[in-house]
Amino acid sequence: MTNSNMTAGKRLTSALVATALSVSVVAGVGVVLHKLSADPNGTIVATKEADTITINGKVYPKASLTMGVYADKEQAKADGFTGNKNDWVQFGPSNHLVLPANTYVTMTIHAYDGGEKLNNPFFGKVVGTVGGTMSVDGIDVSSIPADQVQHTFTIHGLPSTSQDPLFVNIPLQHVNADENDEFLPTKDPNTNFKGHTMVFSFLTKSAGEYVWNCEYPCGDGTYAKFGAAMSAYGYMSGKVTVTA
Amino acid sequence: MTTLDQHVGTRPIPNPKKSLITKLNAGTGLIVGIIFALLTYRGLSTVLDISVYELNNRVLLATMFMWSIGFLAGIGAFIGPIRWLIGEDLTAEEQLYMAGDGQGIKRYFKYCTDHKVVGIQYLWGVIVLLAVGGAMAMMIRTDLANPGGHFITPSVYNSLVGLHGITMIIALIIVATGPFGNYIMPIMIGAADMAFPRLNALSWWVLFTAIPVLCSAWFLGGIPTGWTAYAPLSVQAGPGMNAFIATIIIFAISTAVSGANITATVITMRAKGMTWNRVPIFVVGATLSVAMAIPAFPTFMLAMIMTAMDRSFLTGFFDANVGGTGWLYAHLFWIMGHPEVYVILLPGVAILIEIVPVFVRKPLFSYTSAIVGFAGIVGLSFLVWAHHMYMSGWMPMLNGPFMVTTEMISVPTGLIFLVILGTLWNGKPWLKVPMLGVYAFLWNMLVGGITGLYLSDVPADMYLHGSMYVTAHFHYTLMGAALTGAVAGLSYWYPKMTGHMLHERASYISFWLVQIGFQVLYLGMFIAGAEGQPRRVVDYAEQFATSNKISTMGAYTIGIGFIVLLWAVIHSWRHGKIAPMNPWGAKTLEWTVPYPVPLVNFDTPPVVTSDPYGYGRSAK
Amino acid sequence: MSEHDSVDLKPTPGDRLANFYKRSDVIQSTIFGVIVTGIFVILGGKFYTKWMPTVMSTDMKAIERLMVVFTWIAAPVCGVVLGVALYTFLNRHSGDTQPPDGPATRTNGPIVLLWSVVTSLLALTAVVYGITELNSSSIASAKNAEDAMVVNVTGSQWVWTFEYPKLGVTSHELMLPINHPVTFHVNSVDVNHSFWPVQLGVKVDANKVAETTAETTPNKLGEFDVKCAELCGLYHAYMETTGEVMTVDDFNNWVVAQGGHSA
Repeated sequence: MTNSNMTAGKRLTSALVATALSVSVVAGVGVVLHKLSADPNGTIVATKEADTITINGKVYPKASLTMGVYADKEQAKADGFTGNKNDWVQFGPSNHLVLPANTYVTMTIHAYDGGEKLNNPFFGKVVGTVGGTMSVDGIDVSSIPADQVQHTFTIHGLPSTSQDPLFVNIPLQHVNADENDEFLPTKDPNTNFKGHTMVFSFLTKSAGEYVWNCEYPCGDGTYAKFGAAMSAYGYMSGKVTVTA
Repeated sequence: MTTLDQHVGTRPIPNPKKSLITKLNAGTGLIVGIIFALLTYRGLSTVLDISVYELNNRVLLATMFMWSIGFLAGIGAFIGPIRWLIGEDLTAEEQLYMAGDGQGIKRYFKYCTDHKVVGIQYLWGVIVLLAVGGAMAMMIRTDLANPGGHFITPSVYNSLVGLHGITMIIALIIVATGPFGNYIMPIMIGAADMAFPRLNALSWWVLFTAIPVLCSAWFLGGIPTGWTAYAPLSVQAGPGMNAFIATIIIFAISTAVSGANITATVITMRAKGMTWNRVPIFVVGATLSVAMAIPAFPTFMLAMIMTAMDRSFLTGFFDANVGGTGWLYAHLFWIMGHPEVYVILLPGVAILIEIVPVFVRKPLFSYTSAIVGFAGIVGLSFLVWAHHMYMSGWMPMLNGPFMVTTEMISVPTGLIFLVILGTLWNGKPWLKVPMLGVYAFLWNMLVGGITGLYLSDVPADMYLHGSMYVTAHFHYTLMGAALTGAVAGLSYWYPKMTGHMLHERASYISFWLVQIGFQVLYLGMFIAGAEGQPRRVVDYAEQFATSNKISTMGAYTIGIGFIVLLWAVIHSWRHGKIAPMNPWGAKTLEWTVPYPVPLVNFDTPPVVTSDPYGYGRSAK
Repeated sequence: MSEHDSVDLKPTPGDRLANFYKRSDVIQSTIFGVIVTGIFVILGGKFYTKWMPTVMSTDMKAIERLMVVFTWIAAPVCGVVLGVALYTFLNRHSGDTQPPDGPATRTNGPIVLLWSVVTSLLALTAVVYGITELNSSSIASAKNAEDAMVVNVTGSQWVWTFEYPKLGVTSHELMLPINHPVTFHVNSVDVNHSFWPVQLGVKVDANKVAETTAETTPNKLGEFDVKCAELCGLYHAYMETTGEVMTVDDFNNWVVAQGGHSA
């Protein structure tokens, strides 16, 4: 058994070095986790527009944003979005939306997937938009039957003293199976297949952090169909940052 | 480290040359395990389509179990039983070889049957698990330092919460019975080894195979369920859940093996004269703890097998759509879950009760009360599980009865306090590091116990259930009491296990950093819970910001405290002050053997004539 | 407890008791104990009322009172434990050598008995108090059940929705009229959730198929939080919404604005 006569100074140094080393290892793991947790496709920032709109006597600037929702990676690629890692149903081109505060935001969602039935019929309702409606391929509606939805785009957040509540629910009209024989999406009305386009507007309030997710059960093969793509961050879920 | 086994000089190192066991070690185990796993995965994935949810689960589960079996085959775990089956039992020389006699550091990487080697293996296993679990806790607290959830995504956070939970639960279950139950306890009762030395090696190496399986959860997408793994969320979860299921099943086997072994050892192998009223209290606590685990863990294993069936064969045990129910899972889980917290608590408390008389130089006050207290806790712990289910809606009528049994646990727990206080009274405690742990325990267990009183009460639990308050409460009992006990045990028995004293100043610094950080961390968390913050959330509203910030500062302090302790353990292992045979002047048998402890512990079997608490000026 | 001076004198029990009270360790421990008890009594009165959110129902009021009373029940226990612990901690032996041996007290029957009886009584007090609370709240809810407004609460991964079946309204926010009993019928469409309107002091799990119920009567106007208290997957943390207790008129206006028919 070696019984070294380590001096007190050497011992202190070794202790300090070991502590610093361990702390940096843990911190390093933290940095790696943080890096891995970054939004895989960056953010999509709403484009501010020059004109304004007056609602209930208050003037709002306008901004707009376009997203797509795809049955798989191949559809996403055909629409110009490289897609997430797994070949799952997904929103694109990013899952992190950045919106300006106190603005009239108009969102366009091109949706190319089929669908069956919502778990909770509530999400067939349009909630939180200006006028309580959205347009599906140009026709205004305030709800979609629970068995004609392909996905939903649902913004919600934590009730908090520091931010205004924001709740928006948009059901996305599904694509009928017989419309679906030409697989890849296109926005050209002359081709065989196109998805549906939902356009809606809502008002943001002060700055805050919210999340959005899909409420249509599209994690096929899992319990309540809410596993897989539904439970992996970044496919059918994401963040909404409202910036001042 | 170099071990000078004193028998090396007097006895030739056994060398059964032709025997297979001389060629096997953890390395061959690793190779065979990986080969088994790869073959299973490649083979099954050619016949089963792994893009299908339930088929993928089958393939992954089979791969994990085959890894475990392959590793055990590769390290030679099955040689003994097979040789026995074919009628050619191991020779005496081979058995001696398996005990690792004179093999130095190599024996720590072999299927070694010496209980002292197994104890050290467990010790390092526990240290690694605690370090990993602790690092995860730091990640959790970093995320919660500020509202907004910007540090990591919810999926990573949920995985962290679940894997921190299960890593720490496994670590704490073995933290006292693993290292000290294996290394110290047989010596304490005057035995030459455990009753079943090969099972002893098996329990460690089976547990060892669970560690890579648990880690693989990260590479399979993590787990979203927390360590409670409630169904149907666990049925919905991704492939990472298989790693959790396999870990629990493997761990339950290890626990059963080790529980049977420890129980049998204590019942049959006590020294001559060590009647039941002379057994050291740590032995009683550890034995009751593993005896409690023997019926408790199989229900968890069963719950996991059913979850695996639901996931792999779509059986629907827990699926209400086809007639199953999630309540079934909750019952199976908590029938394990509540005894399990006492499985963790008892050995830690028993260590502290063992320590008190030594450092106060007084007999243990009311040995009988300690035994009655332990027995009462063990008995009641099987009758309280549904207090975790007050709000589940399962059967509100039974909330009252479960509330009664739960609150009655405070009576045997009170006896434990009485034993410690009675021993302290009229004494002048010698405040070495182990003794400090006793004081930390008194405070932490008091807070843990009182907050447990609120939680056991149905109307109060209506508010507190599922909040941060619960998290703070059980950390007070599991970490503040049980882990504190185990750390005290480490500094108490370190001299016997390594031949060196644990660096004293570093242990003091670590103790105070950990304990002060602990109070700060969980004070913040109690406040957050009272304010209404749910547990297991990646993000929270602005109004909880202050209490969470306090908690995170406390957590970092604890982290640094444990790093200092880790340094002390590693440093002192070789460079610590050489320990005298009995540095604390204790009267239990482990202090009568020299370091290194001889292979069979005692040259002549000891004879016991009194209990080991005969301290004091005038023995009555 | 005074064996160390009882060897030759053999005093009567009365003398022993009298001497016991005069011992400095007894006096100091008692002082510490009284201080600790006092701290816990004050803490019990202040801690929960300070940190717990606004009380908006009698259930929440009962919970808050219960937390306070339980702390008071526990206070003397803390006093005894920490009083003795503090005294011995301060009266420690320092140095690198063992302290001298203390008196060889093995046990003390009356003390063990007294301790067991007192802790049992305290536990019993807590049990009786808790059962009484439980009972009175279930009697109250049974009484209110007939004229209660029913709200169907649905937990979906990761949003709460509320349906008022008699009013023809569905909403993502929970609006309630003041002083009107309400019965929540709680369900889940997927995994387990736990429905927790924080300031109303009720909580019950949302399970698939097996419906659970909870009752309360909000008695204070204002906003409250609705949270999920059971880990339910990815966005468990965000499964929160707001609710509001309104005057009956405001509530009826809200119902009409949502397209329902007022009660």
